[in-house]
Amino acid sequence: MNILREVAGGLLKMFVGDAWLTLGVLSVVSLTGLLTGSGAVPPLLGGAILFLGCIVVLVANVAVYGRRHRDR
Amino acid sequence: MISLTTAAPAVGAAFVASLVEVVEAFTIVLAAGTLRGWRGAVAGTAAGLATLALIVVALGPLLDQVPLHLLQLVIGVLLLLFGMGWLRKAVLRAAGIIALHDENAAFAAETANLSDTTTLRRSGFDWLGGVMAFKAVLLEGLEVVFIVIAVGAGRGLLVPASLGALAACVVVLAIGAIVHRPLARVPENTLKFAVGVILCAFGVFWTGEGLGIAWPGGDLMILFFGAAFLLVGLGAVAVVRQPRGVIEQ
Repeated sequence: MNILREVAGGLLKMFVGDAWLTLGVLSVVSLTGLLTGSGAVPPLLGGAILFLGCIVVLVANVAVYGRRHRDR
Repeated sequence: MISLTTAAPAVGAAFVASLVEVVEAFTIVLAAGTLRGWRGAVAGTAAGLATLALIVVALGPLLDQVPLHLLQLVIGVLLLLFGMGWLRKAVLRAAGIIALHDENAAFAAETANLSDTTTLRRSGFDWLGGVMAFKAVLLEGLEVVFIVIAVGAGRGLLVPASLGALAACVVVLAIGAIVHRPLARVPENTLKFAVGVILCAFGVFWTGEGLGIAWPGGDLMILFFGAAFLLVGLGAVAVVRQPRGVIEQ
């Protein structure tokens, strides 16, 4: 059981290494899905939102982590 | 018939990504074998590979039952989470904010862990070494399986992706058999950076396709996404680079 727990924990860590990053990515994907699925934006604009949203999430996460580390 | 230009990116991505995972598993198996005896380590490795094979054989056919758009969306999101996590960590490591992963240090840590637990046993069967090897092979192997599915499923490229992963195993085992030491010279962070970029590019592309977005230029957009993530990653390293001070482990 211990091995299974460790393997499950390792797998979870693969995808949820940083909770804020995971939350950010899932939010961007959900927003894109909502906007394109409801027809509020054309699919191509949805694609741009998805791509740029992921870039913003990554940069923001790294910047915040870096600043927090520097302030310590 | 799959053309070389279609298969090459899948083979390359699976090879590079798997290389990192196989090196990690190899380091732990090497520590277990060196310290606790090779019978247990080899048995643990074989058991780990057998369990992996069972999982692949049992779950593999299910992939064909899932609608393509759903498969692309799920795998795309998982790729994004996986890739962004790797890219983030690689950026932070390259910027000097967190410490670089060191296979020699990992080997030393595993060795210390094993020698602290019980007395050394270099001959005969050792369960502790076997369990350690089993866990490492199973966990890192599952990551390799995920990578293969991620870059190969949905586009009929599972075989080329599997060949890429297999090539990584062969390369690591061959080099490992020759040097018989942890492969510390593999530039792990550079590989992780590159793989993070590739996985993010595939992740955005597939998530978009899963959401019904028809990308202009088709597969060529993956190259554009890759170039953009690479530039953003390098830019982020330059911006957050740690001039001096304490580096987190």
